[in-house]
Amino acid sequence: MNVLQQMQRVSAIVGRRTYATTFVPPASLENVARRRDSGKPLPQSPNIYTGRPSYYDQLNALETALQHTQRALRNLQLLPLPQFARDAIPPPNPVWKNKRVLAEEIAESLTVTRYRRVINLLNQLDECRRIADVAGHHSLAESLARVLQDFEPANKEAVLARGKRKPVKIDEYGRSYTIGRRKESTARVWVIPVQDKTGETSTTSVQTPEAPLEDELSAGEVENEGSKAPESLLDPVPDVPPAPVEVTTTNILINNTPLVQYFAHQADRETVVRPFKIAGLLGAFNVFAIVRGGGTTGQSGAISLGIARALVAHVPKVETILRKAKLLRRDPRMVERKKTGLAKAREAYTWVKR
Amino acid sequence: MSLSIRSWAAASAHCSRRARCPKNINGAVRYLSNTSPEQVPLQTEEDWSQFQVKRAEYKSLVDHFSQYGSTQTRDSTFQPHHELNRPKAPSELALSSLMAAGAHMGHSQTLMNPNFMPYAYGVRSGITIIDLDHTLPLLRRAAKVVRATAAKGGSIVFIGTRPDLRPTVRKAAERLGSQGFHVGERWMPGTLTNKLALFGGDIVAKERIVPDLVILLNPIPNMHAIRECAYDHIPTIGIVDSNVDPRIVMYPIPANDESTRTAELVAGVLSIAGREGVMLYQEEHLQAGNDGQRQRVRQTFSS
Repeated sequence: MNVLQQMQRVSAIVGRRTYATTFVPPASLENVARRRDSGKPLPQSPNIYTGRPSYYDQLNALETALQHTQRALRNLQLLPLPQFARDAIPPPNPVWKNKRVLAEEIAESLTVTRYRRVINLLNQLDECRRIADVAGHHSLAESLARVLQDFEPANKEAVLARGKRKPVKIDEYGRSYTIGRRKESTARVWVIPVQDKTGETSTTSVQTPEAPLEDELSAGEVENEGSKAPESLLDPVPDVPPAPVEVTTTNILINNTPLVQYFAHQADRETVVRPFKIAGLLGAFNVFAIVRGGGTTGQSGAISLGIARALVAHVPKVETILRKAKLLRRDPRMVERKKTGLAKAREAYTWVKR
Repeated sequence: MSLSIRSWAAASAHCSRRARCPKNINGAVRYLSNTSPEQVPLQTEEDWSQFQVKRAEYKSLVDHFSQYGSTQTRDSTFQPHHELNRPKAPSELALSSLMAAGAHMGHSQTLMNPNFMPYAYGVRSGITIIDLDHTLPLLRRAAKVVRATAAKGGSIVFIGTRPDLRPTVRKAAERLGSQGFHVGERWMPGTLTNKLALFGGDIVAKERIVPDLVILLNPIPNMHAIRECAYDHIPTIGIVDSNVDPRIVMYPIPANDESTRTAELVAGVLSIAGREGVMLYQEEHLQAGNDGQRQRVRQTFSS
C-alpha cells in the first residue's frame, strides 16, 4: 500500500512536468569542469558579439522608437495615410549630425552605409513627428522631437538659414545699413527717412504712386462741385497762385561730399537717384554712403544697389517695382581677364600668314 | 498602292488609340477602401480631427459587424507576422506547424550531402524532402539544451545573418533578457579567437565574453563562427539543410534553412524554452545581490 501510494505520488509529480527529463548518471557529475570566469558579470549590450555594440544598440533603439511611434499613429488612424493627406503634411527639412560627429558620439567608426541606415531611421521618425504635429497631437510630436534632438547638430538653425539673405536691420534711429557692389567698387550705404516736425517719418506718410493722382482727381472734383462755372468765357480768371507744394530737401552724401560734387557726369548722378525715382520716394530719404574701389560707373552702380536694398528694407512694398526695374540685381559683369596669346581679353594679335 | 497603305495606317492608328479611363474615379470606386469618397483637403487641425474620426468610425463599424461574419478573422488565421510575434512553446509544437512553415523542403537532390542521409525522407520534384519525424524530436532536444543552459545562468547567442533574420534573432535574444545576445549582421572572424583585439583587455578581464551556447539559423555563411565555437568548446545548435553535413554543429535541427518562416519557428521555440530557463535561474537566485548580473529592461513585444 505504502509503495503504491509512493508510486502514485511520484507519478503525480512527474505528470506535472511539461518537458521530458533525462537521467544523468551520478558518476558523470563528479569531475565537472567549472568555468574560470563564472563569477564575472555578463556583457551589458546584447549586440556585443557584432563587434560594434554601441552602433547596433543605437540602431535597435531607433527601430524600437519607430515601431512604437507607428503603432501609436495607427491607433490614432493617422497611418497609413492616403495621398491627399500626405500632400497636406509639411515638407521635410531635416538637418542631422554629420558622419564624423556621430562616429565620435558612439565611439565607433562609421562607414557611409551604416551612417545612412541611421539617417534613414531618423527621417522616418521625423516624418512621423510631422504627421503627429500637423494632425494636432502636439505632445506626441514634442516627445518625438526630444528623441530626435540628440541627433541634430548644435548649429541647426544656422545650417537651415544658409543660402537665405539676412534681413536688413534698422537701428534705433531709423537708419538702415546696406552694401552694394558693382565691378570693383563697394559702397556702404546708410539710409534714413526724413522726419517731419510732427515726428512722422516719411515711411509712415509715404504715398504710393497711384495715391497722389487719386488725391488730385478727388480734389479737382471737389473744386468743381463747390465753385460755380464762370458765366462767360470773357470773365477774367482770378489770379490765385497755386498752393506751394512742400518738397523736403534731402541730402545724398558720398564720401562726405555732396552727390553733385562727387559725380561730375549727369549719367552717374542719374544712376544714383534712379531707385528713388522708380519707387516714387524722391524726397523721402537721406543717404550717406562710403564707396571704395573702381571708377565712376562702378561706384555709382554700387551706391544705386545699396540704396535699392535700403528702400526695400524701409518700404517693403516697393520691392516688386524695383525688381522689375532690375535695380535689386547685383550686376555680375566684371572686367574679363587678359589671356595668354591674346592682346587683351578677346582681342587677338594680328594674324600673320607666315 | 498608296491608298491601301493609307487605309492600313489609319486602321492601325484607330486600333492603337488607348481607351481613355476617367482620371477622376471618385464616382467609380470599385474597391472598398477605408478612405472617405470626398477627399477634403486637410488644412486645419479640425480637418485632421474629422479625418481621424471618420476613419475610426469606419473601423468600429467593420469591427462591430465582423462578429456576425466569418469566424476566420485576421487574428485567428495565419498572418506572416504571427510567426515572429507569437512563438510556439516546445510542448505545443507539431508536425503540422513544421510542415506549414515549409521546413521539410531541402535543396536539390544532386546537392545532398551523404551525411544528411539519416534525416532525408526522400526526393520529390528534384529536391530532398527532410524527414520531419526526425526534425521534431531534435528540435525539442535542442529546446531542452537551451532551457538547461539558461537555467544554469548561461549566455546564449542567436546568429542569423540575413536581412530577414535580423528581427527574428533580435526578438529571440530579447526573450532571454540579460542572458540573450544576437548577431544579425556579419559575424566578425576572430570574435572568440581574437577577443583581446576585438573587445579590449579590460572588457575581456571584467566580463564573461565566451558564450555558453550558440544557435545558428543559417550555418553555411557562418562557418567562421562554427569553427571558433569548436575551438572554444562551445556547444552549437543549428538548422542544417540537406546540402550540409549535420556534424558541423553539436545539436543539428534538420530543416529548410532558406525559409524565413522556418527560422522564425525554430528561433521562437528555442527562445521560449530559453525564457523558461531564465525564469528558473531567476527563481533560484532570487536574492541576486552578489552575483553582479545587472538586469536589463526587457522589451517584451510578444506573449
